[in-house]
Amino acid sequence: MDELDIPRDWWEDFEAARRRPLATRIRYSFIHTYKPVLDDARFRAWDTMEEYRQWCEENLPDWLGYGRV
Amino acid sequence: MGAFEYRQAEEIRDAFTRYGVRYLFIGKSGAILLGYADTTQDVDLFVERSAENGAALVAALRELGFGLTETEVAAILRGKDFVQLRHGPFDVDLVYAPDGIETFEEAWERHVVVEGFPVCHLDDIIRSKEATGRRKDIESLPRLRAFREYLRRRA
Repeated sequence: MDELDIPRDWWEDFEAARRRPLATRIRYSFIHTYKPVLDDARFRAWDTMEEYRQWCEENLPDWLGYGRV
Repeated sequence: MGAFEYRQAEEIRDAFTRYGVRYLFIGKSGAILLGYADTTQDVDLFVERSAENGAALVAALRELGFGLTETEVAAILRGKDFVQLRHGPFDVDLVYAPDGIETFEEAWERHVVVEGFPVCHLDDIIRSKEATGRRKDIESLPRLRAFREYLRRRA
């Protein structure tokens, strides 16, 4: 896709979102689904972003998309 | 736990304002506040790293219903680069050093306010996603860039 091309369906999505109040946009946009491993601990913290990225690559299933390409 | 709600966004905004927390919505949750049409699961907050801000953040999170342990408080006060909380009224990621953004101050200078919510500029949200190199972020970039172009044309 050219940088300046906006697919028609995306443009229509953006237009529709523009007409909605913020509260509605949030209701439509935030979903909650269980993410294996990631959601299994109440708390995690990493000293550096690099450590976080490595942890994700070593511990999360590939299909979650947290691995770097 | 249900999905994040507008009421909870208001609660974050109001509690963080009361305690003087310096923060910005970032990531897809930030883009959604800016009008982006897409889905996401949790809230990403870019937080200024300072002892004062850490203490304010802990107080605000406790008021919001996060039962923080001493270990968790220590991680927040220390300003670890990435803190993930999954035991509160909603899921939240606290990011102290997002990829692609040099400093909080730099992002603050460009930030946008939407209904009282402080949000990273869309350029910073895109820059941050470009810098992660993660598959899920790379896949989200064409639509985010299209949204930026949409906003330019609509301005």
